Amino acid sequence: MADDESQTAATDITETEKVATSNGKPTMAVKIYAPFQVYFEGEARSLSAVNATGPFDILPHHHNFLCMLVPGVITVQTLDGSKDIKVNRALMHVKSDKVSVFVDV
Amino acid sequence: MRRPLEIKAQEAGARSVVSLTSALESISSMQIAKTKNKVLISNQFFDEVWNIYKQIRVDVMFNYGRSIDETPLDKELLILITAKGGLSGDIDNRLIRKFMEHYDENKNDVLVIGHHGTTKLKQAHVDYTYYFDLPEHDYVNVDPLMDITRKYAKSRIYYQNYISLSQQEIKDVDLSEVVSSKGRVADMATVSDDMVTEKTYIFEPNSYAVAAYLENSILRLTISQFIYDSRLAQVASRFKAMSAAKERSIANAASLHMEYNRAKRSQVDTRLKESMAGLKKLRAGGAQ
Repeated sequence: MADDESQTAATDITETEKVATSNGKPTMAVKIYAPFQVYFEGEARSLSAVNATGPFDILPHHHNFLCMLVPGVITVQTLDGSKDIKVNRALMHVKSDKVSVFVDV
Repeated sequence: MRRPLEIKAQEAGARSVVSLTSALESISSMQIAKTKNKVLISNQFFDEVWNIYKQIRVDVMFNYGRSIDETPLDKELLILITAKGGLSGDIDNRLIRKFMEHYDENKNDVLVIGHHGTTKLKQAHVDYTYYFDLPEHDYVNVDPLMDITRKYAKSRIYYQNYISLSQQEIKDVDLSEVVSSKGRVADMATVSDDMVTEKTYIFEPNSYAVAAYLENSILRLTISQFIYDSRLAQVASRFKAMSAAKERSIANAASLHMEYNRAKRSQVDTRLKESMAGLKKLRAGGAQ
């Protein structure tokens, strides 16, 4: 039983170590795209957007999340600055430090 | 036999047709490469959205994002995706033929996308209820079309499907069925850790609103995908038609060239014969 617990703990540690970092700061993979256009694809430190509830931020280690965005601007804090992307209609999916924003769906 | 000059003029015309069809064939070829690439890129996008939809959907019946109190028209809407204009080969004729097998004036309303379809329907003496231009840009706004499909109990879409450069097929699918069948994978037997549920996900504003939004998105993407597929099939069909027209015009020009040579030879022969006859006469006259 004790062995099982230690094995689980070891697995958790390994999984935690898999999290992407840049200069010691955690990052996440972000892809913002429409059927024919990729607006942004790469590592990012955070992402800010607006949905029907209001403005919100997504940071690394965010819980699984699914929401529709209202027309507005998505701000991506990249490793070397920030990028603003204007969207009209979009769906955001967050899972395991991977953020996908499907624009124009 | 026709005069060589007349044949020569006709041959020049045939050569112009060869140049024109060659140019159109090249344009179609470039359009195929461009459209095919776009379809491939968009398919990746669609697959990812489909994948989320499969994991979230709870209702086996797809209801076009209609609310419970909305009563749809008890008719089937037939949607035809056709080319913008002519020069698209026989693909629209085949589509109209397939549509006519199913069409019943009392049971169906018709929605046409693409101007060529309206011309073909007029020829077949069929009235259409709605018309939209075939979108030319990458982004296809299908919202007005979705507003119409939502009014009907059933919608069937006739579109052109690209198989290869030489082969395009006409397909018809029930819009509700195609969405349901693609999402059917997510039944209770296949529930896994990947399933998007309220236990494993945060939804904003709530799970029902997100599911309803996704249902609309899926319909939007499905229609868009059919339009993209049709556009690819149409350019391929145009390429096929232009290649055939080029081959025919080359053969025609070659045949006219041969006819010109024969006529020219015949003309020379006639003149030679006349000269010989004249010479004979002169010689005969000299002998007398």
